Amino acid sequence: MNTPFRLAERPRRVHPPLAPPPDRYFEQLPLRMMQRVQAEAPRETAWSWLAGLSAPVRTTLASVAVLGGFVASFLLSSAPAPVASAYATLAQVPREEMVQYLLASDQRLTLSDLAELPAATQNLSTEGYLHASDQEVQDLLDAQPSEETYL
Amino acid sequence: MEDQEILVKFRDPATRNVAFNQLVRKYQQKVYWHVRKMVVDHDDADDLTQDVFVKVWNHLENFRQDASLYTWIYRIATNECLSLLQSKRRRFFLPLHDVGAELSAKLEADDSLAGDEVELKLQKAILRLPDKQRLVFNLRYYDEMPYEQMAEVTGTSVGALKASYHHAVKKIEQYVNEQT
Repeated sequence: MNTPFRLAERPRRVHPPLAPPPDRYFEQLPLRMMQRVQAEAPRETAWSWLAGLSAPVRTTLASVAVLGGFVASFLLSSAPAPVASAYATLAQVPREEMVQYLLASDQRLTLSDLAELPAATQNLSTEGYLHASDQEVQDLLDAQPSEETYL
Repeated sequence: MEDQEILVKFRDPATRNVAFNQLVRKYQQKVYWHVRKMVVDHDDADDLTQDVFVKVWNHLENFRQDASLYTWIYRIATNECLSLLQSKRRRFFLPLHDVGAELSAKLEADDSLAGDEVELKLQKAILRLPDKQRLVFNLRYYDEMPYEQMAEVTGTSVGALKASYHHAVKKIEQYVNEQT
């Protein structure tokens, strides 16, 4: 019968009998470590103060940043529409100055463009504006080519 | 160079690199073998050893000397080991005994144990222990660390460590006897 195994009776080893690390591993490791920490150092300087904060403070800081983002986007999106104030500002400009400004360049408007504006803003019926009866207008429309389907 | 001298020199930017170099030279073998016993594979042990010293570099300035430098470094190394083993288990959804089997396979691939059947069984029995109990066993059996120092490294009471080591020895002996 075999003698039962007792750990205390076995000679104690300093390390388990594993293969040793590669040759000169411990000679090279200090140099490799220096290279590694030097390479990582510049990366850490920008945000290193964050790492120094405790976890609850970092969480609070992140929450405040997110909340601030929401508030900023809300304020920017709910700013008063500039259209209404633009109409009010335009209403304060004297009519003569406005006409002079619009006529100052050929790229803008001509007098004829301006002349049509009063007619367009009035609610004119076909009788007053076209000087034609409804029947005459209908006849003209019926005379259009049938291919123009958009009519 | 004494630990206190290393700490003083590390706090001075002009001598920081020299101090760190001395620290690595002084503790590299202890750290390497501490993690190697836990992960078995040399490449894993190399990665972990480097990660430990990077953490030492990053936090040594704030080291408050509540414990000795040696204990503090051991504690970092221990946490790194346990994190790696835990992440392996999470990544591959492995139960406890499968990680032990993976480490045992690495052990069998190591030629150093060829021919010594009892030693191979002993090592396999150690690898079957839960990570934290294996850590306690290694610190006590191989490193012969006093229980008070082990308590500082692991953050566990001396009584709990003694009980854990006792149970570990019993489990190991039972496994080796069953395999014989």
